[in-house]
Amino acid sequence: MEMVASLFNSDNYTAVKKMMDVSALRHASIASNLANVSTPGYKRVDLSRSFEDELRASIKSRNADEIAEASPRTEVDTLTPSTRADGNNVQIDSELLGLTKNTMNFNVLTDFASGSLKQLRHAIMGRPA
Amino acid sequence: MMNVISASSITGSALDAEKMRVDIVSQNIANANTTKGTDGKPYQRRIVAFESLLDAASGPNMQGVRVSEIKRDENPGEIINNPQHPHADDDGNVTMPNVNIPFEMVDMVTATRSYEANLAVVRNARQMATQALSIGR
Repeated sequence: MEMVASLFNSDNYTAVKKMMDVSALRHASIASNLANVSTPGYKRVDLSRSFEDELRASIKSRNADEIAEASPRTEVDTLTPSTRADGNNVQIDSELLGLTKNTMNFNVLTDFASGSLKQLRHAIMGRPA
Repeated sequence: MMNVISASSITGSALDAEKMRVDIVSQNIANANTTKGTDGKPYQRRIVAFESLLDAASGPNMQGVRVSEIKRDENPGEIINNPQHPHADDDGNVTMPNVNIPFEMVDMVTATRSYEANLAVVRNARQMATQALSIGR
């Protein structure tokens, strides 16, 4: 039992779970940005920079509790300048690039999560599942 | 995972709005030569205005989109002299609708590209959901 608990509470596994949440939130932000690509005055939404710093620091600490505590949040990005007359600062191509990148990231994370669970099953069955 | 599924309401609203924009463009093009509309006057070009609306279900800051209003373009249309036209006035002048075909085509292409971008979001959301469901397999 000790081994199972340590697998699910490991810093890597906790970090992967957290980053999947982050990935889902980033996806929702990109969905919002692409939905409003033609809305006058809309400002793009992105993950909060302070959260990204917080997450980076918590992963570096390799402390599972600290990683689990970081709460993903978004902020309105008013720093990216608008190149359009209507004040909208969404760039459709960079959002699409971010969308593809985010989906790929998510695939890597699910593969890692699957890998951890497969190892556990391997250990239980005594042979590859 | 709730986020991936609920973002689909945002994308859905955008697909609706962009579809409406294409519908209005097709209405404008269809009526590019309508000199007598239902109100008896030459057809006036319709303009779609978008507004964002907060989608609280998808989280803070997340915004969907909707068509806030469909306005008429009040600019006067071109007046051409064509005495044979059934709608010509006593001087033989006909007021044409204020529809500008190249402008409508540009609007149509823009709306189509935005629609495709939102479809890409749906595709990616589905892929992510499928991946998440197959964790451990």
